[in-house]
This record gives sequence, C-alpha cells and structure tokens, in this order.
Amino acid sequence: MRYSTFNQNQVNPLHEPMFFGNPVNVARYDQQKHAIFEKLIEKQISFFWRPEEVDVSRDRVDFQGLTDSEKHIFISNLKYQTLLDSVQGRSPNVAFLPIVSIPELETWIETWSFFETIHSRSYTHILRNLFTDPSEVFEDIVINTEIQKRANDISKYYDDLIFYTQLAQTLGEGEWEIDGVKHVVNLRELKKRLFLCMNSVNALEAIRFYVSFACTFAFAERDLMEGNSKIIRLIARDENLHLVSTQQILNLWQYGKDDPEMQEIAEELRDEARNIFMSAVAQEKEWAHYLFRNGSMIGLNEEMLCQYVEYIANMRMEALGFDAPFEQRSNPLPWMNKYLVSDNVQVAPQEAEITSYLVGQIDSEVSVADLGDFEL
Amino acid sequence: MADSYKVTVNGQHQLTVEPSEQTTLLEVMEQAGLKPHYHCRNGFCGACRVQLIQGEVSYLTDPLAFIRPGDCLACCCTPISDVEIKQ
Repeated sequence: MRYSTFNQNQVNPLHEPMFFGNPVNVARYDQQKHAIFEKLIEKQISFFWRPEEVDVSRDRVDFQGLTDSEKHIFISNLKYQTLLDSVQGRSPNVAFLPIVSIPELETWIETWSFFETIHSRSYTHILRNLFTDPSEVFEDIVINTEIQKRANDISKYYDDLIFYTQLAQTLGEGEWEIDGVKHVVNLRELKKRLFLCMNSVNALEAIRFYVSFACTFAFAERDLMEGNSKIIRLIARDENLHLVSTQQILNLWQYGKDDPEMQEIAEELRDEARNIFMSAVAQEKEWAHYLFRNGSMIGLNEEMLCQYVEYIANMRMEALGFDAPFEQRSNPLPWMNKYLVSDNVQVAPQEAEITSYLVGQIDSEVSVADLGDFEL
Repeated sequence: MADSYKVTVNGQHQLTVEPSEQTTLLEVMEQAGLKPHYHCRNGFCGACRVQLIQGEVSYLTDPLAFIRPGDCLACCCTPISDVEIKQ
C-alpha cells in the first residue's frame, strides 16, 4: 500500500472510506461522500484573518503593569498554546494526508492545518510586541518540564500512527523488527492507531485550549491585554470549528456511517477513548495548578478554572455519546461565552462589534485633558 | 398558521413560541430566564446541544456540528410542533 501522489487507478471516491482506502487522485468536489467537510472548508475560509491586522501595541504597556504571578500566567499560556499549534500546524498533514481517501476530507485537513499555522504566527506577533527578544520564551517551550509532560501526551498518538503508516507504506503488512522492537503491522492495527489518534486530537481541540482561553479572557474582562484577547478570540473561533470536524469524524465512525470496521474499533476501544479524555482533563487541572502556583489573578483562580475544565469536558464528552463524568453542570465562568460567540452575524458591520472591522483599530479617543500639558 | 407551540424544558419549564417569529430554542430559553449552554450561536460548535425528547424542529441555519440521533442544536433551530427538550 505504497502512497501515490496521484493514484492512477480509477476509484470511485463515493465508495471509499474516509481513511485507509485508496489514495485520493482527482481533487473534485462536485460529488461528495461526506458533504460536511466541504461546508467546514467554506466556513473556515470565511473566517480568514491575519495576525498583523490586530494591533497589539497597547499590550506592551499593560504587560508591564501586571504582577509577577500574572506575567507567569500570561506567558506560560502563550508557551502552551505555541506548543499546541506547533503540533497542530503540521501533524494533521503528516499523519492523516497519507491515509485519507476522499477529496473533501483531504482538503479539509489541509485547510485546518493551514489555519493552525496562522495561530502559530500570531503567537510570534504577540511575543515580538511584548519582548525585544522573545527567544527565551520560545526556547523554554522545549525545556520546561510542565510543558514537556503535555507535549508527550499530545504527540505520542500522532507519532505512533505516523510510524505505523510509514511501516505499512514501505514494508507492507507483517511483523517487523525495527531497532530491536517488534511491530505487528496490519490494517486493523493501523485503524486502531488512527482511532486513538483522532480521539487524542479531539481532546486537544476540545479541552486543552480552554484553560489558556479562560485566562486570556479573564485579562480582557479587566480591559487588559486586549490585543492579545482579540487574537485569541479569532483562534477560539477556529478551534471550535476544528473540534467539530474531529467530532464529526468520530461520530461518523461510531454511528456506522463510514468504514464498518471503524465502527467495531470505536466500540472495542471505547474505554481507551474515554481515558484519553480523562487524562487530558487531569493534565489541564495540573496545568491550572502550575499557572496559579505563584498566586491567582483577579476574577480567576485554580478552583474556578478546574471547574470550567470539568464543565467543558462534560459538554465535549456528551457530544460523543459518553456519559458526563463530572458534577459541574453550570458554567462557572459565564463571561467566557461572550468571547466564544461567533460574530459572523449579518448585520451592518459598522453597527456591531464585528471582529473583522475592529481588528487593527486603535483607540482613537482624545480628550481635551490629553492636551493639557501641550505647549507651542 | 398554527397557534403558538409549547416548549417543555427539563420536564418543568413550560415556554411558548410564536411560529411566525422564528425564535431559536436557545433564545426561547434565554428569554424565559434559563441559562442554556452556548458558545458560537451559529451552529458550528455544538455547545448548545440539547436532547429533543418529543416534537420536531427546523433549522434556520445549516448546522455544521454533528447532530446525534435524539439531539438538536438549540442555537439554530426553531420548533415546528410542541417540543420537549432536556439539557
């Protein structure tokens, strides 16, 4: 099952499973097996934005005024998000493109990953504005043990799937010994790895981002770091869409609307899928603990943040048909919602707070008092 | 045009919707002072998912989130019969 960039065999993509069928040949969207992915592409492209459109210059002043514990919270979250988007900017492409079998999903994966690279570039935009030399922040991402712990869990399912796909696509099915370790490669094993990987990506998009979103929006609630918050709002809107795509894939499998073998695997590995979610929740709570180790910030503490993680985890797990594992049924951070509302509502743009009209706008209010000590 | 539709939430709240107004289930619940879940209010995040126990709804915007059997997305649908929902 060697990969070909243009599969010369005639295949009907309408009869192909989402993954592990024939490689896609013609990128055509006139007929679609799962039309939802093209709708997601359209929606995602309509969200297009550039980090440079958002003015973050006031943030530098705000940042100087933060307490040390608040600076720790802010920078740590940026580091963590940089890690998440570094992984997401490449991994869906590397892991899923060699095995995808329908054109609309292939293009969705590319669109999805591309948007993650916009997010990565926006962290640099934010950090370059805050520090003359942001190297120290970036370099710490690979050394910081708290971040390392998460990086391992986030990347291991991807790495495993990629490695097995590589074995299958070069050596084929069979038992192979690589560096003294035996690997059994067959289609079912590959599909299992794909299933676990998709669950891990889903948990990443569903939960992992939200701890740092909450902190960012808590600053914004106090009118601090607003440029950053505008960027994170745009990122949150994109991530919501990415989450929906992984939920779609997992649900299409488990409701038997795609590959019947994936439905079996979804049933077989249900507990493992649940564990992936639960360990993401546990890690995010640990992360909340790390964030607030030097002190809380106004409007947010470790306990509230952990409650929010539980609240959001319930919601995300129910979307996949799991029972809600936590007691937390009400939203402990109700102000979060106003930052998560998509403002893609068709009213006259100048009348409403539409992000695309507000980005890049700087505060142009000038009062007479501002000119009080002005002399000619 | 039919008279107003009844919306029963969690078996305890009785709300009404005027069919002509095309109010979403989410707005109906909010107007009644309930605190429904939501994020995007645009049908693509799935945060407003509620169980549709009885009745029928129609979607005002095309939802992108997966709607599992027996669920509906409150932010972008309006009842087209009396409905019973649970969240």
